[in-house]
This record gives sequence, C-alpha cells and structure tokens, in this order.
Amino acid sequence: MELLMPLLAALLIGAGVFLVLSRALIRLILGVSFISYGVNIAILLAGEGERRDAPPLLQLAGPYNDPLPQALILTAIVISFATTALLLVLALRAYQVTGTDHVQELADRPDPVHSPVVYADPEVPSVSPEIGTAADVDEDGPS
Amino acid sequence: MNVLALPVLLPLFGGSVLLLVRRSAVRRGLATAVSAATLAVSAIVAARTFHGEILVLQMASWAAPFGITLAADALAGLLLLASNVLALLTVVFAGSSLQHAPVRGGSALLNRAREAFGAQALLQFLFMGVNMSFLTGDLFNLFVAFEVMLLASYGLLLLGGELPQLREGFKYVVINLVASSVFVITAGMVYGLVGSLNMADIAGRIQAHGGDVRLSLMAALLALVFATKAAVFPLGFWLPNSYPVPPAAVSAFFAAVLTKVGVYALLRTFTLMFPAEHGIETALLALGGATMLVGALGMVARRRWRHAMAFANVASVGYLVAAAFVGTRAGTTAALYYLVNSIAVVFVLFLVAALAERVAGPNYRRHGHLGLYPWLGAGYFVAALALTGLPPTSGFIGKFALVRAMLAAGGGLHVAVATAAVLTGLLLLYAATRIWREFFWGEADAVHRVAIPRAMSGVTVVAVALLLSLAVFAGPLYGLCGRVAGQLDGNAAYRAAVLVPDAPPRSGAH
Repeated sequence: MELLMPLLAALLIGAGVFLVLSRALIRLILGVSFISYGVNIAILLAGEGERRDAPPLLQLAGPYNDPLPQALILTAIVISFATTALLLVLALRAYQVTGTDHVQELADRPDPVHSPVVYADPEVPSVSPEIGTAADVDEDGPS
Repeated sequence: MNVLALPVLLPLFGGSVLLLVRRSAVRRGLATAVSAATLAVSAIVAARTFHGEILVLQMASWAAPFGITLAADALAGLLLLASNVLALLTVVFAGSSLQHAPVRGGSALLNRAREAFGAQALLQFLFMGVNMSFLTGDLFNLFVAFEVMLLASYGLLLLGGELPQLREGFKYVVINLVASSVFVITAGMVYGLVGSLNMADIAGRIQAHGGDVRLSLMAALLALVFATKAAVFPLGFWLPNSYPVPPAAVSAFFAAVLTKVGVYALLRTFTLMFPAEHGIETALLALGGATMLVGALGMVARRRWRHAMAFANVASVGYLVAAAFVGTRAGTTAALYYLVNSIAVVFVLFLVAALAERVAGPNYRRHGHLGLYPWLGAGYFVAALALTGLPPTSGFIGKFALVRAMLAAGGGLHVAVATAAVLTGLLLLYAATRIWREFFWGEADAVHRVAIPRAMSGVTVVAVALLLSLAVFAGPLYGLCGRVAGQLDGNAAYRAAVLVPDAPPRSGAH
C-alpha cells in the first residue's frame, strides 16, 4: 500500500506527461486528465501520516484519516472536470474550423484575412482604410 | 471587517446577474455600476491598510489555521486598488468598443456576439478571481482564486471561436492547466509536510522547523508555478502570442494585471512563507534579468501593435521580478513602485494599441498618423517615455530606484542584472522610437480620419492622466511603497493579525 500508491501516482502523471507531449489534441486532453488523477492521488497520500486524530466535530476514539486532503481533492476534481469539459469543446471546435486535430497542422494554418472594416455606427464614416491585407498578416509569420 | 469579502462578492453577484440581463445597454450600465462599487470598497480597504492596519476576515468565524482567512496588508491593498481602477476603465472601454463594433472584419474589438455571450459577466468573474488572489491568506484558496481567474480568462480569450483564438487559446489553457496541477500538488504536499495551509501559519511553522531540503523543493515548485503565470523567462513563451488574441480591452487588462498577479504571488510566497530560500531568490533575480532582455528583443522584432506591446509587458515583468528579488528593502521598495508604474504603463500602451488597431489595422507600419490623430500620438508618447524610463515620467523614477538598489546590493550578479536593466532600457527606447517613426511620422498613407468613439478616447485620457499622476505624486507614493516594503520585511504584523492567539469564536458576527 505504502509503496503502491506513490507508484500509481507517478505512473499516472508520467502517462499524462507522455500524452500531453503528443501531437493529437484528443491525446493531449487525455494527458491533462491523467495528470489531474495522479495529482489527486498524490494529495491523498500527503494527508496520511502521523495526524490521525479524531475528526474536528466528532468525539469518537480511534485513528482517522485527515479529512482536509479529501476536501482539497474534491475541489480539485470539480475544477479539473470543468476545465476538461472546456478543453473537449475547444478541441471539437478546432476540428470543426480546421478539419484537423493535429497540433502541427493547426499551427501551420494561416490566419484568416479580414475584409476591410465597415462600421455599423452612423456617427463613424464608413470608409475602408484598406487594412488587413494578406501582406500584413504574413509579415510576422505564424503567431 | 466584512468589508474584506465585498471585493470578491460584488463581482460574483454582479457577474451572475449580468448573465441574466438581456438588454445590452442595461448590461453595460450594470457592469459599470458593479465595477464602480467594487472600486469604492477596494479604496476603503486600501485606505485603511495604508494607515498600517491589517484587515483580517476569518470565513465563517473559524479561527485562523482552521478556516479560510482573507487578509489585507498594505501590499494587497495597493494591488487591490490599482487593479480595480483598471477594472472599471476596462469595463467602460469594453462597453464602448462594443457599442461601436465593426460589423464585419476587424476581429480585434469586442463585437456584439461576444457581448451577447457573456463577455461582461466573464470580466466580472475575472475581477473576482484577481481580487480574491490579492486578499486570500490561504495557500489552497489562492489556487482556487487562480482557477476562478483563469477560467474566466479562458472564456474571454476563446469567445468568438476564430482560428487564432482556438490555436493560441488551446496553448494557453493547456499550459495553465499543467501549471495549476503543479500548484495543487505542491499545496497538498506543503500541507503534508507542514500541517497547515494558512500562509501565516505555514510561515511560523517553517520558521520553527528550520531548513529542510523538502521545503526548498516546495518553494522551488511554487516559484515555478508563479513564474509561469508571470511569464518569467524561460516559462513565458506562451504570453506574447496569446495576449493579443482576446478583444482589445480584455487584453489590456490581461497584460496589465494578470501577469502582475503572478508577481504578487511570488512576492507573497518569498516574503511570507519562504523568506530563507536565498538560492531560489538568486535564481529568480537572474531570470528577471533575462526576462527583460527577451521582452525588449521581442518588442524590437514584432511588427504588430499588440504583439509588440505584449513583449513590452514581458520586459516590465522582468524588471519587476529582478527588483523584487534583490534581497534588500530598497529593492523591494523599487519593485513596488515599479509594479504600480508597470500596471499603468502597460494598460495605456494596450489602449493606445487598441485605438491604433481600430483606425489602421493590426500592423503598425503605416506612416503619417500624427496629423490625423495628434492626441493618440501624445498618449503614445507619454506611455513610451514611461516604458523606456526617460524623465520626467514615473518609469524613470522606478528604473532609477531599481538600478540604484541593485548597485547598492553589490554582488556580481546584481551588477550584471543592473547592466541588463540599462541595456533593456536602450532596446525599449529603440523599439518605441521605431513604432513612433513608422506609425506616427512620415507621409500619410491614409487620408480619411476614422472617428474614435468618445468613451474609448475618454478612458485612454484617464489612463494617461493616471500614469502622469504617478510621476507627479511620486514622493508620497514612493514613501508608501517604502512602508509596504517595511511591512513585508519579516511580516510580523501580518502574522500577528492573522493568527490571533486564543481568539474567542465570534458566533453570529455576520
């Protein structure tokens, strides 16, 4: 137990880092999830040790696990749930816009060239100051 | 003392109500009102902390090491005030840039669709996270505050769903998630080692416990996390391409405040919890020197307004981190003055960039705009002087104090970083002058003048006036920074105020 759990945390975080370094968006998201699982187990382990007093509100005898790390993990789980959902939507949207989920292809895709700005406000004269041409956008390279 | 909760609660409830309001004019007015109220409360908190008081609020009356503590010393008060002034300006600027939104094209400005999908509410949640980061006295609660801030910033960055947003947004989200994982695992292990998450309590226990290599490792991990948020070289590679992506007003607030939250967390960690980790502080000093140079070189290299300004922000973070880790009280004082100055300068630069992008597109190589927009040129001129550190602006005072503190500290590394600071100033001067020459001077490319909405130019004028006032009132402000630095030296008052011995449980006090 004492050795198995740290090994499991290390394995999960290692697998997560490996996946985060890969080139497909979906593997990257899985990697981030694995990292957060490993982190949760590591925090659980941090709560074990000498502090096995009674829980704060009960007067019962006997060793108890420290409840605080579990509260921390609960918070961390909720946050990682929300961010994973966001990442999934983001990856889906990126796939819909570009047709690829490959990181390199996504980076090589040129930015959309915007048509000249037209202002909706009647107070502002509706001129086209000839901006946003392709030459502008390419000058800085992929950004 | 419940006034301390208001800078967090007002944006929370304001943002929630904003999600329900359907009419955009009402939304704008409500958002402005909420931000003005938050600013008023922050000013009250700041004024009390500037008199040497330390405000503490124990949530639900749980005594200090057991519950979540909100605490404001003068450092928190100063940053709370500065960030909420900018929050109000950001809300007004965003509301106006949205009223006068381009119908098509010009993705740089907040448009109606973004506003309809809750940009104003997300801004309030962002302010809530920022205020909570400054006020919290609990390490895990700091993580939660960072997450609130980051989740709102993801939304603001991604709203609109265009290709650059998706690409840069994905990097931004993943990098921040990995950094947050490191943060939360470190918080857990600090609890495992020390047995507390209250920062003042951790400080006392570490002091009693003495040096331990595991504690040094925790300090290094926290430094890694906060340096990533603050975009310190080599961890700041994500910043220059992602900050120009969101709407103009939002990227101004991101650049001016969010990176400084990382710097604040570094300052808090290494003055309060780990004051004895001199090795890490020296490393951060050296990295600060490298960050300035990278920022200045990047600003020279970039041809687009907000990309160049994002690098200017990196350079100012470099100055801040270097000054904060000189290791003397004079250095901390210089860092605090430069912090306020840098928040104002970067905000003005991004506002000027937003207006320039509005009239002439993202690229600044379009000559002859001084004749068409003389006041925009004046605003840029003031901000550029303050960025490069030329008198009579506040940038000069900040950099002068910084270099003097470095040289007074006297080590070889200090002299090297001081040299880097001067060299960076020259590079920034070159970069800023080139933008001046290429955008404002020369034969006019454009003939027509594009009108700038009055609220947008008004916000910019107010921001420039605030920047100038930092130089006019430099004496009192510098004195205040000296007092803040004195409070941070040892943090005895902060720790005593948070950890009241045998505090009676105040039942029903709220």
